[in-house]
Amino acid sequence: MQLISVRGLRKSVGAGRAARILLGGADLDLAAGEMLAILGRSGSGKSTLLNLIGGIDRADGGTIEVAGERIERLGETELTRYRRERVGFIFQLFHLIPELTAEQNVTLPAQMARRDRNGRRNGACFHARELLERFGVAEVADQLPHTLSGGEQQRVAIARALVNDASLILADEPTGNLDPVAAANVLDALRSICDSGRSVLLVTHEPEATAAADRVVLLEEGRLRPEPARTGA
Amino acid sequence: MGEAIASALVRLRQRRGRSLLAASGIAAASVLVGTAVVISFGLATGFDRAAARADLPDVVARFNEASLEDVERRVGSLPNLESASYALERNDLGIEQFGGNETSRTIVAAVGDGRRGYAVLEGSDLSGEAGEVLVEQGLATDWDIEVGESIYVDTLGPLRVTGIALAPEDVAYPLASRARVWVSQDWLGEFFLGDGETVNVARIWARDADELDPLLVQARSVSYGLENLRFVTVDGIRTLVGQAAGIVIALLIAFSLVAVGAAGVALGATARADVQRRLASIGVMRAVGLSRAAVAGHYGLDAALVALPAAFGGLTVGALLARGPSADLLGILNELPPGGAVLLPLAGCMLAIVAIVVGATVWPAWRAAGLEPARTLRGAELPGTARRSLAPGGPFGLGLRLAGARRGRTLTTALVVGAATSVVLLMLALASFLQSLQNDPGAIGKRYELAAAFPAGRTGEIEAVAGVDLASPRYELDGLDSFRLGETIAVIAYPGDHVPFEAPPLAEGRRLERAAEAEVGQGLADSLGLEIGGTLAVQLPEGAGEARFEVVGIVRAIDNEGRVAYVRPNRLLTSGLAFDPPIAIKLEDGADPAAVSQGLRAIGAEPQGATGATTRDQAFLGVLAGVLRVVAAVNGLICLFILVQALAVTAAERRQALAVLRAAGAERRTIALVLAGTAAAVLAVAIPLGIALERFVLGPLVSRLAAGYATPGLATPALQVLIVVAILVALALIAADRVARRSARASIPIELRGV
Repeated sequence: MQLISVRGLRKSVGAGRAARILLGGADLDLAAGEMLAILGRSGSGKSTLLNLIGGIDRADGGTIEVAGERIERLGETELTRYRRERVGFIFQLFHLIPELTAEQNVTLPAQMARRDRNGRRNGACFHARELLERFGVAEVADQLPHTLSGGEQQRVAIARALVNDASLILADEPTGNLDPVAAANVLDALRSICDSGRSVLLVTHEPEATAAADRVVLLEEGRLRPEPARTGA
Repeated sequence: MGEAIASALVRLRQRRGRSLLAASGIAAASVLVGTAVVISFGLATGFDRAAARADLPDVVARFNEASLEDVERRVGSLPNLESASYALERNDLGIEQFGGNETSRTIVAAVGDGRRGYAVLEGSDLSGEAGEVLVEQGLATDWDIEVGESIYVDTLGPLRVTGIALAPEDVAYPLASRARVWVSQDWLGEFFLGDGETVNVARIWARDADELDPLLVQARSVSYGLENLRFVTVDGIRTLVGQAAGIVIALLIAFSLVAVGAAGVALGATARADVQRRLASIGVMRAVGLSRAAVAGHYGLDAALVALPAAFGGLTVGALLARGPSADLLGILNELPPGGAVLLPLAGCMLAIVAIVVGATVWPAWRAAGLEPARTLRGAELPGTARRSLAPGGPFGLGLRLAGARRGRTLTTALVVGAATSVVLLMLALASFLQSLQNDPGAIGKRYELAAAFPAGRTGEIEAVAGVDLASPRYELDGLDSFRLGETIAVIAYPGDHVPFEAPPLAEGRRLERAAEAEVGQGLADSLGLEIGGTLAVQLPEGAGEARFEVVGIVRAIDNEGRVAYVRPNRLLTSGLAFDPPIAIKLEDGADPAAVSQGLRAIGAEPQGATGATTRDQAFLGVLAGVLRVVAAVNGLICLFILVQALAVTAAERRQALAVLRAAGAERRTIALVLAGTAAAVLAVAIPLGIALERFVLGPLVSRLAAGYATPGLATPALQVLIVVAILVALALIAADRVARRSARASIPIELRGV
């Protein structure tokens, strides 16, 4: 079953003579439970594609359908709800809040979601502990981010992305700041997410980071094409 | 240097929008400062300017009419005498403007040659020709009298206005109870001057103004035979007039300090936010080899080039805005505006504002330049201190933690909001107090509700009226201090215990018990240096001799500016003076004043209500109360401004964190909740600080500065405190919502990059 279907997606930056086309009609499909890696050089538009699918940026043209919903048509409030209920983001720089412990960082989106929906916390704390345990960082639950290693921080960020039971995880260069061992741990964690039925869309400029993906596509000159070595995988 | 400035201008042009925004913030703060400086400086120096311009005499003596020759001989014998002039003043001659205003509360002064103690502001001085009159500037303003116009003066007929004069011996009409005009003696006939050449005012200029005491002592000794003699010195005039200005100056100084503090916080916040946005640029500069000092100097120059024109423009606008109202206020006090003299303090303020802006920019830039270039190149947030916190979880708790991560800034913001809050509470307390002065005799210690014209010997009949608790004759006269001669004293006497009728709070000592004792007001004690056990010597009017009392108590009295003395009437009644005292009437609890008044009329007594503050100031008190409430409201807006600035800086500094929250689906109101948590941390310090500052520091200080003689008890009522707290919380929520709206409009991907 297709979770995501993107057709003719276009996005430019700048205006007039300084305009630069980042996406010139990109097409993409992602099935439920699939991990897709998008490989491309720096500045090729990978993060932009991710941002558009994640609903934190607006396209100039084309369609983005996620679980049957055309998100390019959504208003700001609906987009916010979409991000809260369907999407989890993982960033290259982790973006954990320094003043919160690992557990509190994971719990925060759940508290926002529960509060906005029905005003109650609804067991968010227990869920956070389970997630931290699942990704092997339960022992650092009460520590502040600056005391954690890069790999630990990223795994906490993965737990945060999952706390609202998102069906789609968007990972932007998740291993870009990690050593090979930590990177491997993170990729394993992302793989395990797919095994539980969620979809993962990962963008990277490192070919090694695509090893855990089911499929790899290249983003070149604003368009997507399958990676030649992995065609049909 | 020229190259550096040119480069800085290029950078500023590239960031035109932000530069203009910063400049507008600086200009707004400068407007506040400029306004406060012009008004404060004008009030603080206005009397001295007016006295110099008007050639104010060192001593003004008034007495019952006496022959000029006699007075000249007495004055001529005084030591330290430089010159003297003489005048005859007639009170309560009717003055009428044709087809317009009229009054019979007047002073018409017939002046001779020589120094006159006034300054001609418009037109020309009296030339001695018949039919000329000079009009005091307060009267001219109030009646819109112009030079060349004619006014009618009783017994003198229509007179042509030759000029408009400033006479700083008193405040201006209508604040002064009598309208003042001058005419030349040269053409006046017997209908004005009387049989001989008589005068009742002598103006004396001393060679050495610091050695007035021997002159005054000698004046007392040579004045035997002059009836109803009263002296007032230039210091006395300055005190009398300055009391009205003192409270305004004190309030403006407090207001200015808050404004400057708010401006400093706002400017510091803006500068820090700007540095935060440009962290990547700082990283590049450091990466290519610029020193830390060079980077900080870069930013300092940019800030100076923005601050200089903004501060200059703001101060100019503020000064121009304040010029008119300040001149009006000074005109009421018969003082002169500062003119060009205010440029120096304004220039000093401009330098201070620029220094604050530059300092507030250089410091975060210096700190940022001390980070590893790789870190700043990534646009990382300026380091705070992540600490474990007891704050609750959730968005609100996150906001508290963000405030805790920047303890210095949170505390600074709380201090300024606290100071602004204390000024708000002070204004409200003062306004309430001034209104009680207008209407409530109890505010000045009066406990009797009615007074009645009735023979003192029949007081028992009044006490027999239903609803009357106690009644007593109330004797009052104006005396002079025997030693200094420059101070008038309201002497108030009750045959028995005065406390049930009139009891200003006792500051020191005890209540009087015997005929030879006195309770004196704080104002009188301060001006005469009286202490418990000292002697109050009062020169009785109409040559009735001297009365001496032992000071046993000092009271906080506001009536008559604190220059009061409570005594038993024994000495007054044996002085030969004639008294017809009203009967002070204290009602029983729950008695209806209207019913009691009817009962009094039935026995032939005409009742009157007991009054609050001396009545001619009541309108002024009402206006001042209104002004104070406006100042309170303006301070409330300053609190809002400070909170918005502080939250905007937090949102700018932590934009990556807020972007992560938004990417995770946080709505605008969730972001507002985070910022509300930050604001709550500020208010948690600011509110108790503001309440404590007002109650224990500002309230006693301002009332002491303003009154100098009484502490009216400027504690804001609890209900008003609660209302102010509620308003502050509402302002915090408004600020949080406003900043959250702005934050929600930003692009999440750009905010995540931190540039």
